[in-house]
Amino acid sequence: MSFFRMKKVVMNSLFKKPATRMYPVIPREFTSVTRGHVEMEDPEGCLACGICAKRCPADAIRVDKSKGVWEIARMQCIQCNSCVETCPKHVLVMHAEYTTPDPEKKVDTYQLHHTEPKVAQVGDFDPQMETGDAGLVCDKESCVFCGLCARNCPAEAIRVDRAEKLWEVDKDACMKCGLCIEKCPKKCLTF
Amino acid sequence: MSEAKYAIQNFELLDLLELIPKVRSLKEEGYRLVQACATRSADGTITVIYSFDLDHVLYNFKVIVPENLEMQSITDSYWSAFIYENEMRDLFGIRFHHLALDYGGHFFKVAMPRPWNPEVVQEEEKAPEAAPEERRLTREEMLEIMGSEVEE
Amino acid sequence: MGKRTIIPFGPQHPVLPEPVHLDLVLEDETVVDVIPSIGYVHRGLEKLTEVKEYTEMVYVIERVCGICSFGHGWGASAAIEGAMGIEVPERALYLRTIWHELSRIHSHLLWLGLLADAFGFDSLFMHCWRLREKVLDLFEKTTGGRVIFSVCKVGGVRKDVDSATLREIVEVLKGMAPEIRELADVFMNDSSVLNRMVGVGVLTKEEAVELGAVGPVARGSGLRQDMRLNGMGVYDRLGFEPIVEEAGDCEARCKVRIREIFQSIELIEKAAMDMPDGPIAAQVRGNVEGEFALRIEQPRGEAFYYTKGVGTKFLERMRVRTPTNQNLPSLVKMLKGCDFADVPIMVLTIDPCVSCTER
Repeated sequence: MSFFRMKKVVMNSLFKKPATRMYPVIPREFTSVTRGHVEMEDPEGCLACGICAKRCPADAIRVDKSKGVWEIARMQCIQCNSCVETCPKHVLVMHAEYTTPDPEKKVDTYQLHHTEPKVAQVGDFDPQMETGDAGLVCDKESCVFCGLCARNCPAEAIRVDRAEKLWEVDKDACMKCGLCIEKCPKKCLTF
Repeated sequence: MSEAKYAIQNFELLDLLELIPKVRSLKEEGYRLVQACATRSADGTITVIYSFDLDHVLYNFKVIVPENLEMQSITDSYWSAFIYENEMRDLFGIRFHHLALDYGGHFFKVAMPRPWNPEVVQEEEKAPEAAPEERRLTREEMLEIMGSEVEE
Repeated sequence: MGKRTIIPFGPQHPVLPEPVHLDLVLEDETVVDVIPSIGYVHRGLEKLTEVKEYTEMVYVIERVCGICSFGHGWGASAAIEGAMGIEVPERALYLRTIWHELSRIHSHLLWLGLLADAFGFDSLFMHCWRLREKVLDLFEKTTGGRVIFSVCKVGGVRKDVDSATLREIVEVLKGMAPEIRELADVFMNDSSVLNRMVGVGVLTKEEAVELGAVGPVARGSGLRQDMRLNGMGVYDRLGFEPIVEEAGDCEARCKVRIREIFQSIELIEKAAMDMPDGPIAAQVRGNVEGEFALRIEQPRGEAFYYTKGVGTKFLERMRVRTPTNQNLPSLVKMLKGCDFADVPIMVLTIDPCVSCTER
């Protein structure tokens, strides 16, 4: 009995296609959702707000706003996709190809061309944001306290209470990314 | 889903003196030790949480560790607690008396001593250790005794 | 009394890729005493919770283990959800259950392969891992990761699985079942395999209770103990009943795992059929305050999570107790009195994940 069983296995193995691939010759096929490595797709559009670095559970990302540098430590990155999800400007993209092995701990640096205050492209907020003296303000006259700004704030710096007609911003937490200004239906927010 | 068994949260605060009697009575009732761990709150108090299981329901109780960081081991009743107690010794510096298998603070190889409680200087760092009276052999001692016969 | 010898076993040992060290005290060829030592790879992940936001911490906690990673993500999220009182949407619970059971299949197949490797049956090892690869491909297709999924988050899951993919998962698993049955036949009926496992490393029911054995080790000793019974996920709706074997030896533990693979396939099939529509994640706002303890049944046994928040973005304590932690005492008990040549097999049948033990 066991002889026939064994024969079946042997015959199957003889004629079946191998389960493995000729690795370097035939490359691996990735799926559309494979998380391989993070790429800074559009250094021009990056605000250097640092939310990605704050959200990174592995401390792999470092953002230097004054120098206009965005860095990722490749070996430290755990491909959790947190930075890609939180980026308010969607300049980070997850690619399918894995990072290549390396004898050294590689750090990829991107220059953001942010060294001097850049003219803002989003909504109608002021380049003054770079100097940081004017925080986010809300024109309470036209505000309807819908809370859309708070819900979209990646830094969770805004608190809105409709019942109490309250609009508050935590100026330390605010990254000045301008996302709330974009989303505001009444256009009552300004920097 | 609040009626689900996992959502039942029993937390009870016990006095240090009640610990051993309580553990013994739980043992008699057929409870199984799930885990023991220590937590440290912002004000520096260290609490040990013991968790037990009976029929898929958790029962936890907490004991506040005294300032001298010395406690009674529960390995008399639950031998398997030696892992948790040695772990707490390494991470928090809590010393357990009558521990069945004492690694003497060398259970985990950590980068810094007692990561949750680094301020405390422990006995063995001040002076070479005087062997506590009631204790079974540590691994090192065992190896030493066996040393003459070791063949490799 | 024969001559006593101490044989050091590990931390580097060909049979298991994990750093556990055992001092085996032998009398002739019989093990009379064992002192386990772990702690070679302590990573301090529990300490890391104090400086990482709880929402991101889940992705770190997942990395406690490379095999039961989904379970760790689920356990950590569920503990935080419990402390915050978040109600997770139905669909997310179903998806979590499916992924968790998939990782059980993958873990058990991996373990079967390692077991075959431990008793020197290498072609069997290759076949087990060949099948496991299909499960990994399913993971990659649905979550984007092969081993670490980062798909479970506080409040729900991050990715939805459409019904076509669900059907495909069921199809692939159904296609795998006959192949796994072929392998299971070797494990359960081949005399060379049975010679190594039957009657080896017996752990009686009483000892299992006494030493707090969990997971397949406990179930192999006749304990009806499975955390899937306590209301996590949707197991109660799938008519789940744990698999129990009475013998308590290595073969019983092996049988439990083999039968669990088939059970998991059935569970996934049922879950995919009843999957409700709806959102996959609940809103998460605010900070964690309060404490919560829960357990979850991982492929290796019960894992314990305790979380305590004090109203800040960071948790004050996140405790993860992995199944191997609890099975080590049982291992020590099993090893006493066994034959020296059987030590590797016994170490393997508790399915040790030593690195998990040292968060």
